[in-house]
Amino acid sequence: EEKSSAIASSQIFHSDGGEMEPETMEIKSVSEYFTKMHMGSLMSKQ
Amino acid sequence: KKIRTKQKHRMEASCLELALEGERLCKAGDFKGGTAFFEAAVQVGTEDLKTLSAIYSQLGNAYFYLKEYGKALEYHRHDLTLARTIGDRLGEGKASGNLGNTLKVLGRFDEAVVCCQRHLDIAQEQGDKVGEARALYNIGNVFHAKGKQKLWGCTQEPGDLLPDVRDTLQKATDFYEMNLCLVKELGDRAAQGRAYGNLGNTHYLLGNFVEAIKFHRQRLSIAKEFGDKAAERRAYSNLGNALIFLGQFSTATEYYRKTLQLSRQLRDQVMEAQACYSLGNTYTLLQQYERAVEYHLKHLYIAQELNDRVGEGRACWSLGNAYVSLGNHKQALHFARKHLDISKEIGDRNGELTARM
Repeated sequence: EEKSSAIASSQIFHSDGGEMEPETMEIKSVSEYFTKMHMGSLMSKQ
Repeated sequence: KKIRTKQKHRMEASCLELALEGERLCKAGDFKGGTAFFEAAVQVGTEDLKTLSAIYSQLGNAYFYLKEYGKALEYHRHDLTLARTIGDRLGEGKASGNLGNTLKVLGRFDEAVVCCQRHLDIAQEQGDKVGEARALYNIGNVFHAKGKQKLWGCTQEPGDLLPDVRDTLQKATDFYEMNLCLVKELGDRAAQGRAYGNLGNTHYLLGNFVEAIKFHRQRLSIAKEFGDKAAERRAYSNLGNALIFLGQFSTATEYYRKTLQLSRQLRDQVMEAQACYSLGNTYTLLQQYERAVEYHLKHLYIAQELNDRVGEGRACWSLGNAYVSLGNHKQALHFARKHLDISKEIGDRNGELTARM
């Protein structure tokens, strides 16, 4: 394995600091909310 | 009164139907189609404010993924206001987190931290461990982006940092570490993968390349566990970059080759071009100029196909250099001229000066 100077490489590689992992966005689901509501009303009827 | 009640029910049903279709389209990755249905649902209207909050939130997310950040900001703000109005604390936390992520992308880091911190506070107050972990990850991302932006203005070499930049990046690692600790406790492997990846990226910027490699290897292992090819490709590319700075060029080529292979599998031409460029540069460092030419040419063809003039210019510049090293002055001159033309065309003053030299 070569162990030459890193100076040349840093001049050649204009890296943007690596590829980031994706952002995690919070989800508010209409269908989940609707299902919960529906289940809730069914339960209350019972 | 009966007619009005009937109309109200019809309106609610129609709004819900439109919103459910919007949700289905977004889940399938059609964000453009999804926004059309969600916006139609808003037009019809609903008196159920929790449904409206979910619609605003998903509109904000859809515009975020479409990179229309101004609109994303607008809808996440509506969602936050609504969640507060109806006293939905968890909903307020989620809206704050989404707002924070959007502000981060817009480079408004101080406001982003305030929003993400509010997400964290509410999650802790509500005993919502999953939300707490996600908020910690988001804060880490804000500090990482802030550190990276400061870095561009002041240094050329990774690791050669001003104290202020170092502090900001150190904060990012602190939050990622806290996130990692919590997601380990929760047994969330996918979230662990994300934390390892971004810890690797932060240590890379800090110049801790050995640490960076350690984290990217862990990221790679989790990506393989899940069969997540995009994450695997990312990990190989990040590993290659860190190895370059340790002077381990041969191992770097092995990783870049894996990146190239996965980019092709994923049919991602932009990443394929990037991998070819990295391979060309690494073979230049290894003084294997014929192989360097081979990969720079591949990069050039893809850049031309993608109509990426910046990439094309870079490929021509690299090819000019490689041909000089091979003693092929005719080809070197050909590519140097092409580089000069492209630099002039795209207004790249630095490129133009380099080409003239």
